[in-house]
Amino acid sequence: MAVAARPVEEMPRPNIPSANIQLPAVRSYQQVNDEIIATLTPTVAWFIGLGIAITALLIGIGTWIYQIYMGLGVAGYNPPVMWGVYIITFVFWVGIGHAGTLISAILYLFRAGFRTTIYRCAEAMTVFAVMTAGLFPILHLGRPWKFFWLIPYPHWRFIWPNFKSPLVWDVFAILTYLTVSTTFLYVGLVPDIAALRDREVNPIRKRIYSILSLGWRNSDREWRHFTRAYLFLAAFSTPLVLSVHSVVSFDFAMALVPGWHATIFPPYFVAGAIFSGIGMVFTIIIPLRRWFGLRHYVTINHLDAAAKLCLFTSLVVGLAYLTEFWVAWYSGNKVEQEYFMNRVFGQWWWAAWIMLTCNMILPLTLFSQRLRRNTTWLFILSLFINLGMWFERFVIVVPSLSHEFEPWQWTTYAPTWVDWSILMGSFGWFSMWFLLFIKQFPVIAIAEVKEIVPPRLRTHAATTDINVSGQHVDYSPETPGEHE
Amino acid sequence: MSDITQPSGVRRREFLKILGVTGAGAAATGCGPSEAGRLIPYLVSPDQTVPGVSTYFATTCRECAAACGVIAETRDGRAIKLEGNPEHPLNRGALCARGQAALQGLYNPDRYNGPRVRRDGQLVETTWEEAIQLFRQRIDEARSSGRGGDAVFLNRHETGSFPFFLDQWLSTMGLAPHLAIDPSMDHAVIAANREAYGVAWPSLSFADARLIVSIGADFLDGWGASVPQQLDFAEARAKMAGAPRLVYVGARRSLTGLNADEWIPVRSGSELVVANALLAAVRGGGRADLSTAASAADVPVETLQRLGTELASARPSLVVSGVRTVDAREVARVVNAINQASGNVGRTIRPAMPISAFEGAAMSADTSAAIERMRAGRVPLLMLRGVNPVFTMPKSAQVAEALARVPFKVAFTSYPDETAELCDLVLPDHHPLESWGDAQAMPNVVSLQQPAMDPVFRTRATADVLLEVAAGPPAAGGPAPPTYRSWLINRFPGGGAAFATALARGITSGSTARVTPRAPAPADATAVPAPVEGDGDFIFVIYPSAVLGLDGANKPWLQELPDPVSKICWQSWIEMHPETAARLDIQPGDVIEVQGTGGTVRAPAYLYPGIRRDTVAMAFGRGHTAYGRFAKDVGANPLDALSPGFDRAGMAAWSGSRVRVRRVGEYTQLVTTEGSARQHGRGIGRALAVTELGGAAAASGEEHAADVAPQGTGEGGAAAAVGQQPGAHGGGHALPGDASHEPLPGLRAPIAADAEGALRNPRTNEVGMYDPEHPTGMAKRRWAMTVDLARCTGCSACVTACYAENNIPTVGAAYQSGHTQGLPRTAGANILRSREMAWIRLERYWEGDEASPDFETRFVPMLCQHCGNAPCEPVCPVFATYHSPDGLNVQVYNRCVGTRYCSNNCPYKVRYFNWFGYGETDRPQYAWPEPLNWQLNPDVTVRGKGVMEKCTFCVQRIREAENRARSEGRDVEPDEFTVACAQACPSRAIVFGDAADERWAVARQLHDERAYHVFEELNTFTAVVYLKKVTHPAPAQLASAPAGG
Repeated sequence: MAVAARPVEEMPRPNIPSANIQLPAVRSYQQVNDEIIATLTPTVAWFIGLGIAITALLIGIGTWIYQIYMGLGVAGYNPPVMWGVYIITFVFWVGIGHAGTLISAILYLFRAGFRTTIYRCAEAMTVFAVMTAGLFPILHLGRPWKFFWLIPYPHWRFIWPNFKSPLVWDVFAILTYLTVSTTFLYVGLVPDIAALRDREVNPIRKRIYSILSLGWRNSDREWRHFTRAYLFLAAFSTPLVLSVHSVVSFDFAMALVPGWHATIFPPYFVAGAIFSGIGMVFTIIIPLRRWFGLRHYVTINHLDAAAKLCLFTSLVVGLAYLTEFWVAWYSGNKVEQEYFMNRVFGQWWWAAWIMLTCNMILPLTLFSQRLRRNTTWLFILSLFINLGMWFERFVIVVPSLSHEFEPWQWTTYAPTWVDWSILMGSFGWFSMWFLLFIKQFPVIAIAEVKEIVPPRLRTHAATTDINVSGQHVDYSPETPGEHE
Repeated sequence: MSDITQPSGVRRREFLKILGVTGAGAAATGCGPSEAGRLIPYLVSPDQTVPGVSTYFATTCRECAAACGVIAETRDGRAIKLEGNPEHPLNRGALCARGQAALQGLYNPDRYNGPRVRRDGQLVETTWEEAIQLFRQRIDEARSSGRGGDAVFLNRHETGSFPFFLDQWLSTMGLAPHLAIDPSMDHAVIAANREAYGVAWPSLSFADARLIVSIGADFLDGWGASVPQQLDFAEARAKMAGAPRLVYVGARRSLTGLNADEWIPVRSGSELVVANALLAAVRGGGRADLSTAASAADVPVETLQRLGTELASARPSLVVSGVRTVDAREVARVVNAINQASGNVGRTIRPAMPISAFEGAAMSADTSAAIERMRAGRVPLLMLRGVNPVFTMPKSAQVAEALARVPFKVAFTSYPDETAELCDLVLPDHHPLESWGDAQAMPNVVSLQQPAMDPVFRTRATADVLLEVAAGPPAAGGPAPPTYRSWLINRFPGGGAAFATALARGITSGSTARVTPRAPAPADATAVPAPVEGDGDFIFVIYPSAVLGLDGANKPWLQELPDPVSKICWQSWIEMHPETAARLDIQPGDVIEVQGTGGTVRAPAYLYPGIRRDTVAMAFGRGHTAYGRFAKDVGANPLDALSPGFDRAGMAAWSGSRVRVRRVGEYTQLVTTEGSARQHGRGIGRALAVTELGGAAAASGEEHAADVAPQGTGEGGAAAAVGQQPGAHGGGHALPGDASHEPLPGLRAPIAADAEGALRNPRTNEVGMYDPEHPTGMAKRRWAMTVDLARCTGCSACVTACYAENNIPTVGAAYQSGHTQGLPRTAGANILRSREMAWIRLERYWEGDEASPDFETRFVPMLCQHCGNAPCEPVCPVFATYHSPDGLNVQVYNRCVGTRYCSNNCPYKVRYFNWFGYGETDRPQYAWPEPLNWQLNPDVTVRGKGVMEKCTFCVQRIREAENRARSEGRDVEPDEFTVACAQACPSRAIVFGDAADERWAVARQLHDERAYHVFEELNTFTAVVYLKKVTHPAPAQLASAPAGG
């Protein structure tokens, strides 16, 4: 009685825009709830991971206390290199914080379906990355206990911060971004929290989920308001993606320093931020989909599409690098030219070439579909991108300051264990929050996934599937074309 | 004193209790240092002491023998700053770095805090009564054994009454006369001068010479009386077109060599041949002499020929020698003959006005002979005061072993130096700022020395101790023994009243001793060079460190002051030519070992283009094995490699021996403040050849010289200004390539325009940010500075003056290095990370081809430029740096949170960050361990950790002058006051004042055609204006001289 599936002569080309959002192996809403909520159960590996993250964080905190007591001299600062690892890491984390909003907001507005399964992860990453980044401007202060002087607050002496200073703009940009991205994450979570609430048996957790779900009852009216609110927030966040990192880039671009004083910085920084954010998304989501058994949710088609975005931003970043060199040459400004020579072929050649290799050369491999669909390579590449983007900020901050106008004050820079410990602590801080998050909230948006689950087929649906060409094929939970 | 810094919450009642108790205690026991109380140092204040108001004492600097006049500023009973005495004929208001640092000798935390006696091999504290009793007893033993005549007293050479007092005392006690020793003096020149002129040191008039030839004499820094010489040389250079050319002849370019217009790199040891050849040239001798000399000296014969011709034609000229080889006296004799043949005597060399400091010093050979007598066991008693032969004589002379043969050794030294640590009894002397005395500055000028404050430690003036010893055991209730002060007053013509009057000025005419000029003896100009000692490929040159002198190593200001030539601090180094280093595969910082005739010495290599390829050089001054926390185990002593040798006058011959050099295989990072030694065409230090000067400036050179005469005489400056019109100095002169030249510092800046009312709204009459009519009148002023690079010699006195005035912490001591991660815990670790805090720094750039001896040096004092459009100001998020209406770029320490953005945005890199708690007593990096912190200027905040700091243009002095003027109901007079760097500068290169008021000297200097701003293209509108250096090419080169800058 069953219609035998026709033999497949040829694997369908998977790279078809309408196909790349589909989840052929997800067959019912029940399955979505079951499989995703199952990932919330803590495991031994998770406890070990959390333990490592907290240990790293505690080392970082201990080091910071030591640094506050002794003074910033325990870090590797070498004047006039007055900014170092902390500012580099600040920009690094802010950059990472950009992919989340890009994926959840901009791609939402553009109806790019591949975002559906990765956006929750990216958005959580954004919030935690911004939380991490926000620590560093305080960490790097000479007198961190006075950090609130940068915030305009009512004061009987009417002392205000200097609104001309890009650092004050930073305060506003970062705080705004943190507020909006947290709100966005939370609003998107509400229907999922309601789903969790309905399944929860632990009364305390149930109570917490009940409060957090704001009494969500899955009514049409709620859904109508929810989608409008979500759309509004997406539209609201979109300019922030562009503005926040532009403001961060003003920290450099508004200064006189050769290598900083460049009009290309805002677009260059935004592209770099998105690039680094996508790199971090890969770093997180590839192991996660494997450990959580969610490969049929975050399909290789999604990763492939994200890899294309990654490739595109890499090309933008690469163009920015080359433009910087070209402008330095074209400007005829000797100071600028000598700085770039020193950066690429002189004192800092190694840092510059790490940056160029990781951010400009290695991502070119993504032109190969085979490599785009090879999750192992994507993961390795994402690590290189993380490293490369950290070094991009290193190359911006350190070589510029060490080779400025005044030759008598040219120096070098080498971080100490204090810098490294605090950098490590920042990863511990970020990982701790992320690990806590993935066991409390679904790392894949349950409600949104349900929107793209294919219509349930009739009787034979358990054994066959319809591919994008309308052909019936054998059921396979795997998306074709994934390499390891 | 740490109580003061902690607001420990003393309540009113407790305060009254404390006041009562300590007040009673102080009244009962007098104002000794141990009673220096809780809240202000003097609860029962001496007369004149008003809290918060400075008292000034004119006294004499005893850091070197020259005896410059200083004015000690004291606040609440403590000396806080030394300034040159403007009325003193030697230093005329200037003061060198070593003089400034005398304060850190006074407050040195490692000074002996009381007498010590050796018991069971250890120096342990004792009481003065016991110590003096023991000393008296030992003298009696020496006398009773009939060996009093064999006792040795080594006194640090000084002029004035004390040497006579000492000899009088010694003869009273039946002991032999003392030896006055000073190994840093050029005894060879002294000996030759005595022969030629009958005086030890005629004054040298550089300003009157047409040509100056220095044969190895670093007369700007360390050789002779450097402050007066520097003042004089700067006057000479300020003549612009009429200024003398300076030719430096020597194996190594010293600071004087770097200031020279030409360097002739003769081989060390060949100076005598060269000098003979020059003498022949001046006398009209033949060419044969020159070619022999040229081959011996390894320089082109044309060079010597040209120099000979130039020397013969330039009248008057001035030739000085300062070599430290075995031929030193012969060279000096020939040089005297040259001067005599050129008719310089009486014109540029003035035996009639000698500098007295050089009279009466014993030769090193005499010291050596005394040491040999000790070794032979013939000395029963040794007394030392202010001398350290264990350190200043070669290790191979085995001074310590010789001292061990002396049964009883007494040190009157205040510091635990190598020699004092070997002594059996230490009777620490007062610091000169705590004691009475006098010095002979010139034959008819006595410079008086008075205590500026009560003793810091339980020390006693040596003269008083000697008087007490001579007076015998004190009888109960008997009269107190006479004091040295009363002895001085008795000797003083006019007695006590005249003495008190003279003290106010610090100088008086007269003489402490009669120096009889001896008849000049004819010089023997045909001496042949002595044979060279040692074997090896290299010639070793040792020179006394200009910064440290013989005993400056225990003063952190001096340790931290980069050497003017190498820019290295807190470290010893061996200078080597870069090509030689490349040949031997030596990188900068590679430890190399010099093996000389007497041993070896190791230090990292510094590649110096100003040294001959066959020469290695090393500065003497570091390498102490004792001498306190700042000096001990820092650097190496080059004398370790030498065997004791003397020239024919008996001066220790330090240079010219042959040595072997090898790479050890270790590496030590050089503690240098230098980033790049080249300007990369950025126009920081600019120069122009004298031929490029416009007529107006060339003619007005003298006039400018008058402008920068010692400041502090407001009336004179104002009088000179009468009749001067703005722009009358040819301000319209544009130099080639300098089209935009319009040096009005800060006056064109947007903020200045605002302060002048440009932003006033004519309808509403609202002002901009600054109100030009503000009652303080601040908006009318524009504080500015000019730095004349033609005068600046790079001596770095300004740097130390700034440290002293502005409470700048030193950061390089070994104990401060502990938490500087990733670096060895040796001295200088913080400076390896460029964390020195010098608000003003001396940049030293090479120009031209370093491989040839013709490379040029540009010294640029770099400090906050107080930009009218300052890049640091808009980027500060909390307004910790902002612009004051009178043109200052102000830093508010209290408001600073330490983002350090201002420093990043400063193109001049003149902002300094407190990486550690250098100003916090409970931190291991505390820069002023008690009692060094007594020196801190109470007018200037001691900065805590985590805040930015920078040059303030001595804002405390500006405000003090303004307040004083206001309280006296007048305006601030032109040139009424000046900043610390300008006040100390022995070249008078720095002029500070109000650029908006044409009556100030600085306002007139701005119109100089040589004026320029550094990085003008950045639109920073700096308030510091530099005046280009002026080079003097050799006459033959004049036609083809390339443009400077």
